Amino acid sequence: MILYVNDIQINVLQGMTIMHALINTGLLEQVVSGRKVYDEWGNEVGLDGALSEGIKIYVR
Amino acid sequence: MKKFQRFLFCCLFLFCLYISNAYSQQQEIRILHLNDFHGFTAAYKAFGSDEMLGGISSLAWLADRLRKEKPALFLAAGDMIQGNNWANLFKGKSVIELMNEMGFDAMVVGNHEFDFGQNVLKERISEAKFPFLGANVEGLDELKPYLIKELEGLKIAIVGIVTEDTPILTHPDNVKGLKFLSPVETVEKYTKELRDRVDIIIVLSHIGLNADMMLANKVKGIDVIVGGHSHTKTGRHMIIGKTIIVQAWEHAIVLGVLDLKVKDGKIIEAGSHLEEIKPKLLKKSDAVSSIVEKYSKMIDAIMRDVIGETEADLDGENVRVRETNLGNLIADIMRQTSGADLAIINGGMIRTSIKKGKVKVDDIYSALPFDNYIVAMKLTGKQIKETLEHGVSALEEKAGRFPQVSGITFSYSRSAEKGSRIKDIFVDGKPMEPDRDYVVATSDFLAAGGDGYRAFGEAIRVSNDFSVIGGTIKSNNLVYTDPGKWLRDVVVDYVKAKNKILSSVEGRIKEID
Repeated sequence: MILYVNDIQINVLQGMTIMHALINTGLLEQVVSGRKVYDEWGNEVGLDGALSEGIKIYVR
Repeated sequence: MKKFQRFLFCCLFLFCLYISNAYSQQQEIRILHLNDFHGFTAAYKAFGSDEMLGGISSLAWLADRLRKEKPALFLAAGDMIQGNNWANLFKGKSVIELMNEMGFDAMVVGNHEFDFGQNVLKERISEAKFPFLGANVEGLDELKPYLIKELEGLKIAIVGIVTEDTPILTHPDNVKGLKFLSPVETVEKYTKELRDRVDIIIVLSHIGLNADMMLANKVKGIDVIVGGHSHTKTGRHMIIGKTIIVQAWEHAIVLGVLDLKVKDGKIIEAGSHLEEIKPKLLKKSDAVSSIVEKYSKMIDAIMRDVIGETEADLDGENVRVRETNLGNLIADIMRQTSGADLAIINGGMIRTSIKKGKVKVDDIYSALPFDNYIVAMKLTGKQIKETLEHGVSALEEKAGRFPQVSGITFSYSRSAEKGSRIKDIFVDGKPMEPDRDYVVATSDFLAAGGDGYRAFGEAIRVSNDFSVIGGTIKSNNLVYTDPGKWLRDVVVDYVKAKNKILSSVEGRIKEID
């Protein structure tokens, strides 16, 4: 499944979550220290949230 | 005469006023909603926050209070009965008891509701005092496609849909014989069927916000989508066309509140917010607290359950520096469970040793505290070598990436350059072939690129989409995945079945200088 974290394209397995996308991009530590994850409409999303094809998430 | 005319006029006026009110009555209703609870009964601090949020007994108290203010429905948008130990150790029975007490009106099945198998799900449905919905699931008669509720004289249809991807989000055995139909086509069918029979159509959805938005775009006539699956905190409701979409984050750390004003059977005003569950500021429902406490005590007892015996100390201390018998045991279980040729895990996933003698559930949970699950995929011999090279690339730091393996033996030279340390590799006693595909079991953490392992990601990148055909995952590279069962529970089941654990260091990993 292709998705985008901070506009960088990554591939993860179907069934993986926001947490896996952050592990893949090395951004999990930033979230552990207080940054949050948002979808492309500005909604905060939980780390166990399901991913979907083409989804865009941002860590800030 | 004039007096009489005036009297008649007044009567007529009052009558007209009454008729007009009767025909254009305005109702106010409230929808309370919760999704992706995953058995999180206790409050916790989110990463980077000092504030405790959540706690199901506080949420239950608040929900009760909010329901007293106006006529309300209380809906659950899936993934309620699996996740946390409080849910998993009772296969979701604890959660249903809680939800019965809280007075939910309906729930849609989420993908994780299938994680304990269909028989368990049927039991949970039979225990629930509210209907389980699943309009796009074929083959499970216990699921109702929709429910019609009457509230303030309004007829409200609630149609339940779950993600079409469910067969690849749980073990294939859990969904054997079931068909998951397109949410769009399903909702379209039921919207047409129900539109003239009801005032309001709510879709109770477990397909994720993106899919909810697409659904609202494609199917006209949905008034409200109460969603789940993507764990989205929709601070305020979204509107797509004429459809209102809400979702209440995760783990009962917020309660979704959607207030609707309805006139002549049409929503004329909507207001929504998420009530943060701050346990310090809220009272608790005594009844819900006592259910939480009852099962928590049972968890303590389960943790002390003796499930087997080990004839040797199982070494979880040296998993970052050398082959250990506990590393071998866990890698063996993962390989056998997934039917893989070999298994490679990171030593860092094992956190403590298990002493010789009786083994309790708690021993396994302490050794494997992370919520990892088993994944198996095809890697070439070349990719396996790269994976092992990465595993021994930080020996000096005793890093968690040091591998523990099953079905494979290899030697490495500490003094060689990083990236050239691996010497011989044997799979099933034969030299590994660089261009041959092997099925490798690992954890979801490594498959996602955790601890710097990149080869699994590369295998995913070149893999085409996959599907479940006849209960088996068909894909170029992915062979096995079971996100619904934590590795620690797989190990508990294994120890229970075997009773005696015999695991030793066998020379799977050899340092040659």
